[in-house]
Amino acid sequence: MVEKIIVENLNCYYNKNCILDSLNFSILKNEILNIIGPANSGKTTFLRTLNRMNDYNTYYSRNGNIYLDKLNIFNMSVEKLRRRIGMLFAMPIPLPMSIYENIVFAPKCLGLIFEKSKQDYIVECVLKAVFLWNEVKDRLNKSAMEISGGQQQRLCIARILAINPEIILFDEPCSGLDPISTAKVEETIIELKKKYTIVFVTNNVKQASRIGDRTAFFLMGKIIEINKTEEFFISPKQKKTADYISGRFG
Amino acid sequence: MCGMLSVIFVILIFGFLFVESFTFLKNFGIFRFITGKHWFPASNPPSFGILPLIIGSILITFGACIIAIPISIMSALFISEIAPENLRDFLKFLIELMAAIPSVIIGFIGMIILVPFIKKTFNLSTGLTAFSGSIVLAFMSMPTMISISEDAIHSVPWKYKEGAIALGATKWQTIRKVVLKAAMPGIIAAIMLGIGRIIGETMAVMMVTGNASNIPKTIFVPVRTMTATIAAEMGETVRGSMHYRSLFAIGLILFLITFIINLIADLFLRKIRR
Repeated sequence: MVEKIIVENLNCYYNKNCILDSLNFSILKNEILNIIGPANSGKTTFLRTLNRMNDYNTYYSRNGNIYLDKLNIFNMSVEKLRRRIGMLFAMPIPLPMSIYENIVFAPKCLGLIFEKSKQDYIVECVLKAVFLWNEVKDRLNKSAMEISGGQQQRLCIARILAINPEIILFDEPCSGLDPISTAKVEETIIELKKKYTIVFVTNNVKQASRIGDRTAFFLMGKIIEINKTEEFFISPKQKKTADYISGRFG
Repeated sequence: MCGMLSVIFVILIFGFLFVESFTFLKNFGIFRFITGKHWFPASNPPSFGILPLIIGSILITFGACIIAIPISIMSALFISEIAPENLRDFLKFLIELMAAIPSVIIGFIGMIILVPFIKKTFNLSTGLTAFSGSIVLAFMSMPTMISISEDAIHSVPWKYKEGAIALGATKWQTIRKVVLKAAMPGIIAAIMLGIGRIIGETMAVMMVTGNASNIPKTIFVPVRTMTATIAAEMGETVRGSMHYRSLFAIGLILFLITFIINLIADLFLRKIRR
């Protein structure tokens, strides 16, 4: 397996409080890596460090390195980095524009597509990829605020696909959704694995056991255990992991 | 209850203006009043054409908008999106302070500093021009426009910006395509309030525009506005005379114009919200 991302001695701080404590691990190409752990264990901070969304937070500081295909992401331009690493947030964030514009917004900003016919094609492709095309094809020009939460979240995934990144980060994408929408989003994510490398943060242990190739357990900013998902859940090596997945603490 | 009261007041004001000006409009003719090119209320026979006044008001308002709107939006964006936090608070404080300056004082500064400056720069026979009026009014309306636009821009949820930035949009693209778009209803409301202030302003305009009731051909000639006419002549008229009633008729027209502007703004806002 090819290592897509290598994390090397990463420490992150908010107001001098250590949030991530000397992380060292790698993410493989075309895998789904689950990250589970209780609140305040640094899962979201890690994702936001990966595509440098925390650069805008003045209380945030970090040291260490992250390599994407052997290039240090902290030396790249943030726009280029985010084109390669897309991120989906916990709550669906449709931009205040139509469904169609939501999808072509980023490609236009990045200067990837200009012709109308090509835009139409991409909109159709990405909406089909997230199983949303049949539900919204008749109202592409309606505001994205009007569709349901689950549809919005899938639209947000479609929007990321439109810039065709290499890695997609999911930050508890189903935490605000009902079970049926959740199933649809999960189905979408498993389908995406064929083309993309996925980092999937979730609070839901069962969900992690359903979809990931490997699972990492974060606790208080440290990685307690990282292993193949099956082994991770059937025979965890660390006692803390076993306690957490069986619901004895956390 | 209070809402009802304010509606009743508006209706009463309209009724008052209408009753006071009704006999004049009936005798002189509304059409002749609005399209008449000469305002000579004191000559014999008097001529009550307010076209020059309407054009004066519109010209100055238009000029002030062209100056004030871009500057206001850019200032609001700078204050809310680009300036660091302590600078932001300071600027916001300054702008709210600016809004409290009485119009007479702005007019006074305009008369002493701006008018001679314009006379010299453009080599005119007088600096009391529509252009001076526009600049003074732009200064008067900017605090309102900036302050309210800034509130609107600042209240755009952080998550929209985050969503756009996470997709690889630059800060400038995010501001232009997402923040401005989301804040647009508020910005339009700010602009409309600013325009309301510009049209209704009397004192400052009277002091810097020269008050000549000609139909202006350029912006570098003296003009007279409807508000300035009412303020300047009300003291000299005989109560109940034709001239007296004609001033109320001007007030009625002014009221209708502001009413229509607010109505358009309201319709526009509703359309955008939907």
